[in-house]
Amino acid sequence: MKRKIKVISLFGVLAISPVQAEVALNGFANIVAGTTTSSDESLYGFSDKIDFKNGSLFALQATSDLGEGLGVTAQIISRGENEWDPEFEWAYVSYDATDELRFLVGRQRVPFYMYSDFIDVSYAYPWITPPEGVYSVPFDSFDGIGALYSSSLGEFDTTLQFIYGGNSDDLAALGDAPADFEDLMGLSLTLNRDWLTLRAGYIQTNMNIYLGDPQDNPLYTGWNALGHPEVASNFVIEDDTGDFIELGFQVDYENIIVTGEYTSLTLDNTPIADADSYYIMAGYRFDSILVHVTYGVDEDSKDSFTSGIPADSLPVAGLIAATNVFTESLTEESSYYTMGLRWDFHDSSALKFEYTSYSDDLNSNADAGLFRTAIVTVF
Amino acid sequence: MKYISYVLLVTALVFSSGSYADVAVIVNTANGNAISDNDISRLFLGKLKKFGNGESATPVNSKASSAARVEFEEKVLKKSSSQIKAYWSKRIFSGKGKPPKEVDGDAAIIAFIASNPGAVGYVSSANVNDTVKVIKTF
Repeated sequence: MKRKIKVISLFGVLAISPVQAEVALNGFANIVAGTTTSSDESLYGFSDKIDFKNGSLFALQATSDLGEGLGVTAQIISRGENEWDPEFEWAYVSYDATDELRFLVGRQRVPFYMYSDFIDVSYAYPWITPPEGVYSVPFDSFDGIGALYSSSLGEFDTTLQFIYGGNSDDLAALGDAPADFEDLMGLSLTLNRDWLTLRAGYIQTNMNIYLGDPQDNPLYTGWNALGHPEVASNFVIEDDTGDFIELGFQVDYENIIVTGEYTSLTLDNTPIADADSYYIMAGYRFDSILVHVTYGVDEDSKDSFTSGIPADSLPVAGLIAATNVFTESLTEESSYYTMGLRWDFHDSSALKFEYTSYSDDLNSNADAGLFRTAIVTVF
Repeated sequence: MKYISYVLLVTALVFSSGSYADVAVIVNTANGNAISDNDISRLFLGKLKKFGNGESATPVNSKASSAARVEFEEKVLKKSSSQIKAYWSKRIFSGKGKPPKEVDGDAAIIAFIASNPGAVGYVSSANVNDTVKVIKTF
């Protein structure tokens, strides 16, 4: 009874409070089902058993305008692949300093890619998810400050975004490895005129990722034992620098859409491959139906850790050979085609179908075909 | 024969919905700014926030799926309703902005624009009166 009264009085206070701010609720959901087309194949987390969970998600966003240019936003996403645990993926205070300049302080997206800002809002783009080959950086968010400056340059509307912050979330993509990205900073520039959008981005970060005890890695202990700690340090990720470059374009002319992105990720002095990736997509809109085709390529490689190390003894020569086998094993080459259809069957929902044919150019056993379908919605 | 009448019916429906009343873009009578077609489009996409004289612009939308809104999006923004919805979902869910506020009904839109110097909106051209200024009819 007491509790009930408390609740009622709380509502009473809320209702009469003169500073009560209105909260706008928005959301989106993607329900994705997928299966590979042969029994022994797996791709992007899907296998030959039809799965409704892996790519599905549900999100709610609450925004409140506090007046004087100040706003608060929280976006919570529940993902099937994380056992539907809800997580705050955006949580920030925004401040409009002028009509052109907006600051976001808090948790927000790192502007790696053209679709990063709304990477989970499948309703906002043609595919079920943007091409996995390019969209492969293992984290999306950071905690820090972002500044967005919108203006125009000749005939182009421009948006310049600057970010600074960090991310200390465990990396799900590396088996929940503890990670700390510090001094994460970046710049992106988007130019838009009528049907043409051009984008460039650069992100740099200091990286610390714990990949297990290095003393268990014979290459690490071996190089230290032979007096080459500078080679050994390649097997741990401590205070290393990651660099990321993105270039993208988008053409949306009458019924034709063409989009492409190129990315280059460099992780010097780490045991993780550098990656160069690109995709190009072309689509045609027939009223409420969009058909599209995407072709993409990924190339992973690692420069040798041992260049300039003289093979002046048998143990050193052996370690050089073993180390070169490791760095060469990081080389990967793959390409894929995706054919898809999006049908806007409803005001705020679309149905999507996609088939992806993936080929691993170095190991044809990893080739796979994947069929996915999705209902995506915004509300 | 049945087929032909079906085609005629569909054609008639398509044309009648296409030639539904024109849509008039309106501003406050005190607004003397030159506003190009491209400016109108950028105002309603949140890309342009001020008029030529530096005054802040307040675009107002007609309710979602109203005839004037569909007509305006198709003729001026040159996008379907779902493309516009996708456009705004990109911005809403990434903290980049929100769509213009919605006002229900042409009379209410005209009243809003007549009493707000920086407002810009659109109504069916048949409903325009002299409390607002028409800058362009599509």
